[in-house]
Amino acid sequence: MYGIAMLLTLAASAQQVLKTAGQVRSGKGEKLPGINIQVKHSGKGTVTDAEGRFALTVAPGDTLLVSGIGYKKLEVPVNGKSQLDLRLADDETALGEVVVVGYGTQKKSDLTNSVAQIKGADITRRPVSNIQQALQGLAPGVTVLDRGGAPGVSNATIRVRGITTFNINSSSTSGYDLGKNDALVIIDGIEQRMQDINPEDIESLSVLKDAASTAIYGSRATNGVILITTKRGKSGKLTVNYNGYYAWQKSVNKPQMMDIESYMREQVVAYTNAGVAVPARFSEESIQQYVNATDRYKYPMPNTWFNTMLKTSPQQSHVLSLSGGNEVVKTRMSVRYQDQQGIVENYSDKLSEVRMNADYSPLNSRVHFAGDINYRNNSNTKPTVEPFNNMFHGSLWAVPKYPDGTYGLSTQGNNPLMFDEIGGLSKQGIDYFLGNVRGDVDLLPGLRFSSQFGTRVMYTQQKNFTNSYTNTDKNTNITKTVANNSLTEVRNTLREYTWNNLLTYEHSFGKHDLKALAGYSQIDNKQTFLSAYRERFYNNDITSIGQGANDGTKSNSGSDAEYGLRSYFGRINYAYAGKYLLEVNGRYDGSSRFADGKRYSFFPSFSAGWRIAKEQFFAPLLPIVNDLKLRGSYGKTGNQSVDLYSYYDALTATSYTFNGVPVPGYRQTTLANTDLGWESTTQLDLGLDAAFLDRRLNITADYYRKLTSDILLNLDIPATVGLNAPPQNAGAVENKGVEIAVNYNSKQNSHFRYTIGANFSYNENKVTDLKGTGPYITGSDIDPRYIIKKGLPINTLWGYQTDGLFQTAEEISKYPTLASNTQPGDVKYVDRNNDGKIDANDMTNIGLSFPKYTFGLNAGLQYKEFELNVLIQGAAKVDTRLSGALAEMGNQEGFTHEIYANNYWTPQHTDARFPRPIKYDLRNVATSDRLVIDGSYIRLKNIQLSYHLPEYITKKALISRSTVYVSATNLFTISKLNEWNLDPEAESGRAVYYPQTSLFTVGLNLQF
Amino acid sequence: MNSIHKSIYLFLIVLLASCNKDLLDTAPTDRLAVDVFWNTEADAKLAVNALYLDLDSTNILSLDALTDIGHTNQNFDVQAYIELGTYDQSSAKVYGEWKNAYKGIHAANYFLENVDKVTSSTPALINQFKGEAKTLRAYQYIKLAGLYGDVPLVTTSITLEQARALQRTPVARIYDFIDKELTEAAALLPAAYANAADKGRIARGAAWALKARADLFAGRYQLAADAATEVNGLGYTLYDSYQKLFSYAAENNKEAILDKQFIKDNYPNNVFSMMAPYSQKNGNSSYVPTKVLADTYQTADGKDIHAPGSTFDEDHPYDNRDPRLRYSLFVDGDVLPSGTVFHPAPNSGTADAIGSTYIASTTGYNLKKYINPEDYANPANSGINMILLRYAEVLLTYAEAKIELNQLDQSVYNAINTVRRRADVNMPALPAGLTQSQLRDAVRYERTVELAFEGLRLYDIRRWKTAEKVMTGPVYGITWNNNGQRTVVQVVSFNRAFDKSRHYLWPVPQKERDLDPALSQNPNW
Repeated sequence: MYGIAMLLTLAASAQQVLKTAGQVRSGKGEKLPGINIQVKHSGKGTVTDAEGRFALTVAPGDTLLVSGIGYKKLEVPVNGKSQLDLRLADDETALGEVVVVGYGTQKKSDLTNSVAQIKGADITRRPVSNIQQALQGLAPGVTVLDRGGAPGVSNATIRVRGITTFNINSSSTSGYDLGKNDALVIIDGIEQRMQDINPEDIESLSVLKDAASTAIYGSRATNGVILITTKRGKSGKLTVNYNGYYAWQKSVNKPQMMDIESYMREQVVAYTNAGVAVPARFSEESIQQYVNATDRYKYPMPNTWFNTMLKTSPQQSHVLSLSGGNEVVKTRMSVRYQDQQGIVENYSDKLSEVRMNADYSPLNSRVHFAGDINYRNNSNTKPTVEPFNNMFHGSLWAVPKYPDGTYGLSTQGNNPLMFDEIGGLSKQGIDYFLGNVRGDVDLLPGLRFSSQFGTRVMYTQQKNFTNSYTNTDKNTNITKTVANNSLTEVRNTLREYTWNNLLTYEHSFGKHDLKALAGYSQIDNKQTFLSAYRERFYNNDITSIGQGANDGTKSNSGSDAEYGLRSYFGRINYAYAGKYLLEVNGRYDGSSRFADGKRYSFFPSFSAGWRIAKEQFFAPLLPIVNDLKLRGSYGKTGNQSVDLYSYYDALTATSYTFNGVPVPGYRQTTLANTDLGWESTTQLDLGLDAAFLDRRLNITADYYRKLTSDILLNLDIPATVGLNAPPQNAGAVENKGVEIAVNYNSKQNSHFRYTIGANFSYNENKVTDLKGTGPYITGSDIDPRYIIKKGLPINTLWGYQTDGLFQTAEEISKYPTLASNTQPGDVKYVDRNNDGKIDANDMTNIGLSFPKYTFGLNAGLQYKEFELNVLIQGAAKVDTRLSGALAEMGNQEGFTHEIYANNYWTPQHTDARFPRPIKYDLRNVATSDRLVIDGSYIRLKNIQLSYHLPEYITKKALISRSTVYVSATNLFTISKLNEWNLDPEAESGRAVYYPQTSLFTVGLNLQF
Repeated sequence: MNSIHKSIYLFLIVLLASCNKDLLDTAPTDRLAVDVFWNTEADAKLAVNALYLDLDSTNILSLDALTDIGHTNQNFDVQAYIELGTYDQSSAKVYGEWKNAYKGIHAANYFLENVDKVTSSTPALINQFKGEAKTLRAYQYIKLAGLYGDVPLVTTSITLEQARALQRTPVARIYDFIDKELTEAAALLPAAYANAADKGRIARGAAWALKARADLFAGRYQLAADAATEVNGLGYTLYDSYQKLFSYAAENNKEAILDKQFIKDNYPNNVFSMMAPYSQKNGNSSYVPTKVLADTYQTADGKDIHAPGSTFDEDHPYDNRDPRLRYSLFVDGDVLPSGTVFHPAPNSGTADAIGSTYIASTTGYNLKKYINPEDYANPANSGINMILLRYAEVLLTYAEAKIELNQLDQSVYNAINTVRRRADVNMPALPAGLTQSQLRDAVRYERTVELAFEGLRLYDIRRWKTAEKVMTGPVYGITWNNNGQRTVVQVVSFNRAFDKSRHYLWPVPQKERDLDPALSQNPNW
């Protein structure tokens, strides 16, 4: 039937042909690029160019449909004219923007919630290896901690409106686990991970922040929701887009070791202060030999790893997309290839993917179908023994590599270069598939039913191979042997089905606008885990698991898991005269993670808005304040991040042995908690949206207060119970904050145009209840110590307060000390409780691990064909605690930063910044405010210069648009951590992570 | 168009039908529901097997490093603060031992509450399992009583609410409970196991021997002597070779009464990588012997090395000594498992040189017990059983109890001399006619050297009240030739202190008192 219709259309257009061209301008006369022009009932169409021009082949009797975001639609009969100059009126009611919200869209003007929307173009402006990084500095209330990360392994975390919750059972040297704070990410209606999307496929990204916008996602929404909509095909001619770049990555920082002479002399002082003989290496004669040596194979430098191992390496990305169609079928296909090499040898990540989005709208039908497919393959390599720890620790005086290819070794037998190069590789491959089909049907005018079924499949394979080798340092005869090679192979699968059903209704009568939505959704998630281990392969190249020793050393392990989520939800929007806006949301969620009877929970929200600008009395102000809206919302959301089967009384398999024969056993390990229920957050949001200067200046401001209660915690239980703690509903956290976003666009009608966007967030976090337990303290004297305590922010840095250095024996005799034989030059820890001793009771909060203030400034300047984009971004009121070699100032056997050179206490240098060094003594590096550095920073995150090639050049190559650009990221930073050569965004601790990089990029964007 | 609509509805119906099963009723496949267990004898055996996991293991070595004869080698190890005397109630070590003991106690309680649910045709077997569980539970209480004094007595599974209101039971009542339980267990347990597959299971001798230990700790000397006597006649004897006692060849020998069993690959320990010298594939030397221990070993003629007329030769300090010195410790010149020779002097230029790295022994001594050449190939995968109680201890417990009772009969001499005259030790027998005080010194010497690094020294210096004398001041190591000058190694930046008003007991962990306000604290903590 369609076939015939299409043939008829084609036949008709073949009869008479007319070439028509023209230009589209706004009501104010600005030329409008990107305006969609379609020939009604034909599927033909085009888009206006940068000058607002278009050209089309039509039949004389055709009608053109002209549409563009922010403008009223226009239908223009061609009437045989070959020149059409069109004017589009501003669409006042739409105010240009449509915002994607949960299970639908809303006009920005009608929005009563706090939602930040970011356009796809802003996300892909700068070259980043993941979207988390791309979001940094773009939206208020969205705090991105970008900690760099090895290729393919993002270390960027996103927190929407602060940290609402935490885990107590799993803590590390970086504090209590905050993994439960990840925002829910929904891509085209299906829950996915941030990394599961090609940034170039993103049409728009919405961050839902307040409870009114997130409550429709109920039990998963406490940490905010990120909605991503992908680009879809448009009818009209085929558009081909190529976007590619090539970048050079290099480490932003290189920690600088003290120069050899200063270091050796400092060691002499350290040994002398410890009261022991100075080892032969640090005798005056030896110092002279080392300092003056030219043969660095015989007299190696103490630590050269950062210079030896960090290199500049490439990263490239290529995306090709094709888009086009007619009124019946529209498709968009994109292909992406990305290759990132590490700044340390043997790190690399490759990614290739394809996406196909298709829409089918039968002519004159009330149904619409869509189907999307996305497949991605990711392969990642890294050394099995990661070298970063040894670049700082336990690797002094080792020759990186001798000319014959053998390695030098530290006295501990370490050499990070050797571990990196011959220690073996860990490879991971991920195949990811997403399929998603949708059907809509308009049942009655205004009433639409739609159903979506999505499948997500992920297959992960890891092979972590440890090489066997022996290396002897030819200088010192120290030998490092890894006797057995071994392989751990892991295979995990994930299969998830999502089914969403929506019934939507829209009706306007008189001044009343009503919208309603009812929905049902279910998710069924199944995962399997399998791992196997074998060792003693014939050599390091025979790496199939079956080739390892088939004896008692082989082992395997695995498990299956399944969970389900069933939800009913709805929303009602009501607007009176476009002035008074009301919205009610609700979701009723049931989760298999909880015991029968505790499974379901209800999450409601309410919001209201008042568009003051629409009131009669406001009319005189309209020329100045073009729009003004006040809004407020209140609602409840949940968090179901709790281990599966926590409520289940179960026994676990174990193994023991009698007389050399393994015997199985079963035991209880964890107390079951059948009372487990939902964690929930209530949130109040008050906001305003205002527009000035012909809507060129827009301001959005929000205040929020979130209270998370019944946090699912593995609260400590008395050890006398004899079992591991189950999760319990305990604890409460409050987040308060303010967000402001300001955007300014210059007038569009000159050669010189610019836009400036600024955003600012303030977040205050406080634990308000721990059910009488705690404080919970993790870490130790030699690593950062974090505390979770009522009245303090989550993961507050905890330790001693100090009061400079002791200068005289008399001063020491009058004050309590941490170590028994404290001497002048030692740190003076403050006896806060005045009990005459320094102990754990004197510790206090010494820093914040999450920034209180974050801000971003985006500016775009356009002059003729040139465009300059700048992103400045930063944080304040955040702290970093140094530990390990960075803090030990050479007292143990690690890297010693040049900052200590000639800056430690000696009887001759009593006003030194740092205490006296004492070999193998940690009294002066106990966790204290001395080791906490202000982590506030402001940084030029990105600067980019683009050149849009003039049309007269591109036309010759059949290119409709083309842009070349150069850019640089992390070019410039102001921070107190600069003098430590540390990145301010890095987390506290030993700095044993893959370094933060800066990218220098050349890119090309072509559109045919 | 209708056909399209129809097909949509059909599609939805198919979907609905396929989603019929209840999505939210998922059952785990990675664990066993309690309600399907406790049916058969086999279930009871599976459950009792799992109780052995809570027995102490290589951690007994760490306890000796809190005494005068050992040292925690790395200054940042949490237990170094205990050795220094600067620890407090938040110490992770203090909490860890408490927590592990109650984990074992709960496991046994849970077993004893449920074992009668199983149907069994052999009551003797169920009785044996109960005896094993009771003995394992008593083992944990002996440790708790020795480390903390008064502790909560928990004999059933308890709820969170009960746990939050538990009080400490006076240590005397803890020992009463131990006595009662071990006596009952001895009656339930067989004297020996006929089946080789049961070797390593707790038998009657373990119950009596533990009771002897507990009563010695409690100062109930007559009960201790009686319990030790019960062990006689159960077939235990000393193993011929002290040198090989801790080797694979000696596993399950007639001297071992209670051990934590291990098997390479399947259930290994890491004693080699934990204790071996640094040159042995980066052995960790976690806990090292001190000069005090090395100097305690008598000369071969049975005299103290500082005694007048001693045959001790400072230039050859390890020659002509109680042979147990060189069976227990690696000293300069010893051949290591790798085949190389141990040279710990600071100027030796080897990986084991004191000060070459903080991992190498800081005293210049390393433990030789349990360091077997078989484990060199794979240092973190040792299958050697860790002996928790052996017959030599029973003999010395008997002797000490009798001495404290002032019953200085020949049986006392026999017990001590049996230990001294082991075939490859062959030290002179004690002279007859010693006073109570002389015999007390003799038995304490014997315990110190015979049982060095077997996890008992900490309890011994506490009950002998000698800790306040021996746990102060710097820690010393080997004597070495420093350019012709004899120099004693002193551990860098390490000065022990012992506060006798409180250090004889560990504090009740702070965390535990926070969660259970009814728990009192030990004096002066």
